[in-house]
Amino acid sequence: MQVYLPIAEMAVSAESILLLGALVGFLSGVFGVGGGFLTTPFLIFMGLPPAVAVGTQASQLVAASFSGVLGHWKRGNVDVKLGTVMMGGSMVGSIIGVMVFRLLQHIGQIDLAIPILYVGLLGTMGIMMLVESITAAMKKGGEEKERSRLYHHPLLLALPYKMRFPQSKIYVSVLVPGGIGFLGGLLVSIMGIGGGFLLVPAMIYILGMPTMLVAGTSLFQILFTTMFATIMHAFASHTVDLVLAGLLIVSGVIGVQFGVRMTRKIKGVYARIFLSLLLLLVSIELAGELVIKPVDIYTTEVR
Amino acid sequence: MRLPVLMIGLFVLTLAALPALAQVNNGALTIDLAEKSVNITAGFTGANLSLFGTKEQAGDIAIVIKGPERRMVVRRKDQLAGIWMNRETVGFRNVPIYYDLALSQQASRIAPQETLRKYGIGLDALSFEPVGREDPAAIERFREALVRNRQIDGYFPLEPRNIVFLSDDFFRANFYMPANVPTGDYSIKTYLLRNGEVQSINETQLRVAQVGFNARLYRFAHLHAFAYGLAAVFLAMLAGGAAWMFLRRD
Repeated sequence: MQVYLPIAEMAVSAESILLLGALVGFLSGVFGVGGGFLTTPFLIFMGLPPAVAVGTQASQLVAASFSGVLGHWKRGNVDVKLGTVMMGGSMVGSIIGVMVFRLLQHIGQIDLAIPILYVGLLGTMGIMMLVESITAAMKKGGEEKERSRLYHHPLLLALPYKMRFPQSKIYVSVLVPGGIGFLGGLLVSIMGIGGGFLLVPAMIYILGMPTMLVAGTSLFQILFTTMFATIMHAFASHTVDLVLAGLLIVSGVIGVQFGVRMTRKIKGVYARIFLSLLLLLVSIELAGELVIKPVDIYTTEVR
Repeated sequence: MRLPVLMIGLFVLTLAALPALAQVNNGALTIDLAEKSVNITAGFTGANLSLFGTKEQAGDIAIVIKGPERRMVVRRKDQLAGIWMNRETVGFRNVPIYYDLALSQQASRIAPQETLRKYGIGLDALSFEPVGREDPAAIERFREALVRNRQIDGYFPLEPRNIVFLSDDFFRANFYMPANVPTGDYSIKTYLLRNGEVQSINETQLRVAQVGFNARLYRFAHLHAFAYGLAAVFLAMLAGGAAWMFLRRD
């Protein structure tokens, strides 16, 4: 069935969108990731303008992170103070991200920048996660792994504006969580991804906060960043398509149900191997687009 | 006999349409559109458009459908360090966002190139004003690419459509507008040509627009952008909250 998207001003196949939403929801349920890294490239691949894909994805992430954060909130796993500091950084990041997006669009390099960013980010994360999970699977044991204590690095300790975060039991310069948030904000507004898969390791290794609080706090931060990004995209460039968002959200909710049920059956390590392979697959596909000669080397854009 | 029935039908149609046909018409051409607008609804998958006409003189007919003009940018990718990226750019100022054409016979037999060019009949006859480049050979390559890109996406025709003559002076043309047809005010011009000269022109308007829920949503998004953003956030949170409650139960 074709459905006409009022803001994108084009017709898309409803089945494809629903399938995509359900698949991404399923993955969110299994892995606890937002899945924006799959949705945004796929929407662009379906012919949606990149700006609409990114803008709409932001509103979809609001729904996903809100339902996630509610659960963590109830269990008290959200460090609001730390999350708020990160949020401050992410607001700045998303404003700059929107400007960078506009600039890239203007000089005609957005369809180069998006794949390169995806390939770089997803490729790196995929390889790191694959190596880590394979080593973990081989060890077969539960021995506590020695973590790289980046948060004890003298350079990080030397930063000014130190603040105490009692819930996470850390004493750190606000520039560190602010900087991580800034990066998250950039990702939301340029790539249309929440960036949980990047924020979570950063919060563990760079901030050194307790693992228990990481997921809830990063979701808390992502929720407010994506809320802000949604309003900004809607206000500045009219690129939030509510019909598309609705389709993605509804099918995503159904997918999450199945995903959560699956987690009881899949071992965490194998799930991580699968996720890392998926990240690598998406980045290889996007890398292919960059190096394989396009069917037509000319493209036309309506201004 | 079908013809008299059709003729009566046409007569009724034209009578009904007469007050609406306020365009300049020297009487040699009478045109009627089966639909005065293309309404894009949530389930829009494209629209058929039928145009009926009569001519009171001998000659050929050319029908041109043109959407509003926009500025378009054509980019050329080249390999740099193994990566295909946009390198050269040419902008064109006055490109119709949609163009379609029906002819009673081959364009070259209807009129000489100058006449076709003057009235913009046929893709080859459309002249776009380039911005930012001077080299004519390059401009021509980019212009060809523009036409090719727009053809592949369905905004320009691959070849002219036929005009069906139901009698010597009564004709019909069928157009199809795809699901991705751009919105805007379109003009439909019908030309009567004889001996390579335009004898008569009839112009009628066609409005391509979203209607119903879609149109309201579009207007909301554009006229009250901030409120729309807030609404998008609110609805997303509502959906997320509902999803959480739903998940929590089991």
